Amino acid sequence: MNERIKILLCNVLQKKHHLFRQNINIDELSEFTLNMKEQKLSDVQRAKKRLSWVLTNEIPVILPHERIVFTKTISKIPEIFTEGEWSNIKNEHYIHEMGRVCNISSNFSYTIEVGLEYRKTEVLKAIEFHSAKKNKKGVEFLLSILQSIEDVETLSDRYAQKALEIGREDIYFMLKKVPRKGAKTFHEALQFFRILHFTLWASGNYHNTVGRFDQYMLQYLEKDLDLGILKYDSALELLEEFFLSFNKDSDLYPGMQQGDNGQSMVLGGVDENGYDGFNLLSELCLKASLELKLIDPKINLRVNKDTAIEKYDLGTELTKVGLGFPQYSNDDVVIPGLLSKGYSLEDSRNYVVAACWEFIIPGYGMDIPNITALSFTKVINTSIIKHLENSKDFSSFMAKVRWEISEELSSITTSLNNIYMEPAPFQSLLMNDCIEKAQDISLGNRYNNYGIHGTGISTAVDSLAAVKKYIFDEQSIGAQELIAAVDRNFEGYRDLWLKLKYDAPKMGNDDEIADNIAIELLDIFAELTAGLVNEKGGCYRPGSGSAMYYLLHVRDIGASADGRKKGEPISANFSPGLNVKLNGPVSIIRSFSKPDMKKIMNGGPLTLELHDTVFRNPDSLRKVSSLVKSYMDMGGQQLQINAVNREQLIEAKKHPEDHKNLIVRVWGWSGYFVELDEMYQDHIIQRIELNV
Amino acid sequence: MSKGIIFAIEEFAVHDGPGIRKLVFFKGCPLRCSWCHNPEGLSFKKELMVSEASCSHCEKCREVCFHEECQGFGRCVKVCSQRLPRIVGQQYEASELAKILLKGKEVLTGSGGGITISGGEPLAQPIFLFDLISHLKPVHIAIETSGFAKKEIFQRMVSEIDLVLMDVKHTDPKIHKKFTGVDNDQILENLQFLSMSETPFIIRIPLIPGVNDTLMNMGKTAVLLKDSRNLLRVELLPYHQTAPAKYEMLSKQFTPGFDTEKMVNFHTEVFKKYNIKVCVL
Repeated sequence: MNERIKILLCNVLQKKHHLFRQNINIDELSEFTLNMKEQKLSDVQRAKKRLSWVLTNEIPVILPHERIVFTKTISKIPEIFTEGEWSNIKNEHYIHEMGRVCNISSNFSYTIEVGLEYRKTEVLKAIEFHSAKKNKKGVEFLLSILQSIEDVETLSDRYAQKALEIGREDIYFMLKKVPRKGAKTFHEALQFFRILHFTLWASGNYHNTVGRFDQYMLQYLEKDLDLGILKYDSALELLEEFFLSFNKDSDLYPGMQQGDNGQSMVLGGVDENGYDGFNLLSELCLKASLELKLIDPKINLRVNKDTAIEKYDLGTELTKVGLGFPQYSNDDVVIPGLLSKGYSLEDSRNYVVAACWEFIIPGYGMDIPNITALSFTKVINTSIIKHLENSKDFSSFMAKVRWEISEELSSITTSLNNIYMEPAPFQSLLMNDCIEKAQDISLGNRYNNYGIHGTGISTAVDSLAAVKKYIFDEQSIGAQELIAAVDRNFEGYRDLWLKLKYDAPKMGNDDEIADNIAIELLDIFAELTAGLVNEKGGCYRPGSGSAMYYLLHVRDIGASADGRKKGEPISANFSPGLNVKLNGPVSIIRSFSKPDMKKIMNGGPLTLELHDTVFRNPDSLRKVSSLVKSYMDMGGQQLQINAVNREQLIEAKKHPEDHKNLIVRVWGWSGYFVELDEMYQDHIIQRIELNV
Repeated sequence: MSKGIIFAIEEFAVHDGPGIRKLVFFKGCPLRCSWCHNPEGLSFKKELMVSEASCSHCEKCREVCFHEECQGFGRCVKVCSQRLPRIVGQQYEASELAKILLKGKEVLTGSGGGITISGGEPLAQPIFLFDLISHLKPVHIAIETSGFAKKEIFQRMVSEIDLVLMDVKHTDPKIHKKFTGVDNDQILENLQFLSMSETPFIIRIPLIPGVNDTLMNMGKTAVLLKDSRNLLRVELLPYHQTAPAKYEMLSKQFTPGFDTEKMVNFHTEVFKKYNIKVCVL
């Protein structure tokens, strides 16, 4: 890291750019919304107008030493509907999260390559075509895009003007090229990306992922290196400044917690022809992240059976610094999974990771991979109460479990009807086919599938394993006794509780009983989702992620048959239960690679926590890499490792002021520990206690 | 068919041989090193171990119970909600233990790793050890030993094992006896055999402040090793303050007999003088 980057990094960490943020008057925002209502503007026009408002009110800020510009000064954006209107919409429609397009992957590369002027000619051509066909709505949508493009250009001109005023001709000349014209150099491409990404945030879209950055940006880097415009060091410097830009405004982005902002970047993996795409830029990105030690962009590494151990080593180096990433995804499992759900081969090979871990397709995917969640713990609890006494053996009990899962799936999916999402004209510009079809991305695209998280998988498996062993195999516990004990939160059932908690088979310990149940349970999940179709004609994608549901779902359920008491968290993502005494990492990766994860294709990682002392010498770094590679070679789908130190976290909770930069992995993302709510902090500490 | 006693199995031990390894700890040791970090590895018998730190003193574990495994220990190991009292020491048939250790073999071998047998002193249960080795082969096997064993046993071990990690605690017989409870003549004789053998080995020196971290002792150790044929390196393990932690849990007293607060000296230069690779763990 050179001196200039050190200064810029210091500025970001000290939040110096926050000084430029404008005080936004809430009344002014409400008035803006009310005005739009009174003018009886359509939703598309409102979305366009909101973006215009934001971009027009932005004040150009060029900080000293910056070479990639655009900093947010508007900290709050107006709604497009009044409260009254929105509650009417909510009554009639299913609303996902904030009701905005989010968590998809843009095709940045095309626009960066051809420039906005050229994109305008495409839009004009489409307007001509759709006017002739009297597609009024389509034309209105296209005109909105046109306006948005012009708004971006105007702001860019104002930045150029500002640059001139303060004597930064370099920036002035840069902005005279991009975004109107396509990028020619790596620097131009990065600046262009920053403008597009900035505009997505400004338009209210969120979890704006970065996609396969090392694939679509490589051409610019290679050309600059060939021509001698850049050398390795100057390329790294630019890239580091670019990485910093993701951390400037991230506190303003919507998310469940600070840090949950979806700025995930995917590196490596096979190209459209199936050849390994890991390249110089992939390596540079890993290096930039390693040097900066910031939570954004969040690094994802795609691997496959041909990925050399040295590439895993680069990932391990990054894990070592304690950022909670990279997250690894296995092409050999993910791609067949996508294919099985009807994704084309080319698109499948091009998969990226959404905000957390879900596999989505850049440009073409309008999937909602986190639309709902199946609480496995709840289903198993219900099954035990309703069916355990009447089941003659374990397999007939599992048949009942299957039936309950099917019931629960239909219950959680039937509510997903008549979905409404605010239009997103600018986002549509960055998705394939939307211009030609004159259709907003909020209405769908090539892929319109819904993902169902499967939460508490290990808790459910452990509960079933206890049932199998004690109720049916050993017959040492009676069905009634178990039901009563769980119902009373084990009050008065101390011996039974301890037996379930400590002596029963558990997933993660390479135990045949537990692991075979996991295989069966996940196969059932896959089979039962296979028949479901959503209202857009898309399919449902079963997954093993839990997101925040590992804490939320706990509120609806009591104790469980694995000895977990009421209120204690269920297992997070695809990881062992929190009350399990684990044998160690070898058993864990064995257990979690046994189910056929090609079928559980929505994504959701196994999380391994390793003590930070493991990472102290190069020899043991290689061992961590080997562990990751083993998991992938055995058919693991997704993995993420934390280098943790429990004492440090406890200390940070006590003295947050001394640990402002301590980074931890929360569920699908990394955040600053001291900025998390206490319930998440405690969960992370508990997770570590048993895992290392 | 032979039985032995172990006190733990650890997966993913990163400092005990190449690649990903499972580490098995034999229970029982003829030495009594005053700095010992693993006091539960000293006795050849099962013992009661209690982590008192988070104990709520409900005293339930002191009530009479009829669990077979609790008999004779004066505490119940089943009743505690945190399972704080536990019995260390499990008996296994060699074949049965091998089966447990070899679970996930592909992860171990795929990374160039294997099994490391540690202790306690593995050579103190020779029949069990050789039986176990025969069941583990051809997986890579390493051993961690004090070298205190009859020469026939030691030499057979060297011929059957892939990597030996042997301690050299002190070159001076008197000091050795004082701090470990045994003479070092057998150990040094075995070391000489090892250094001339075909088997790769690593020498480990626990650096105990004021006991063996002197220039003279390090120099003598280096001279003993200088002509070794297959010495990979010397590893220095500086004493650290966590050693007493487990004594309390076993109701034992930690009596180090040296100044635990004192800084240790490394003297890595004496090994470098003889072109011996040296590192600090």
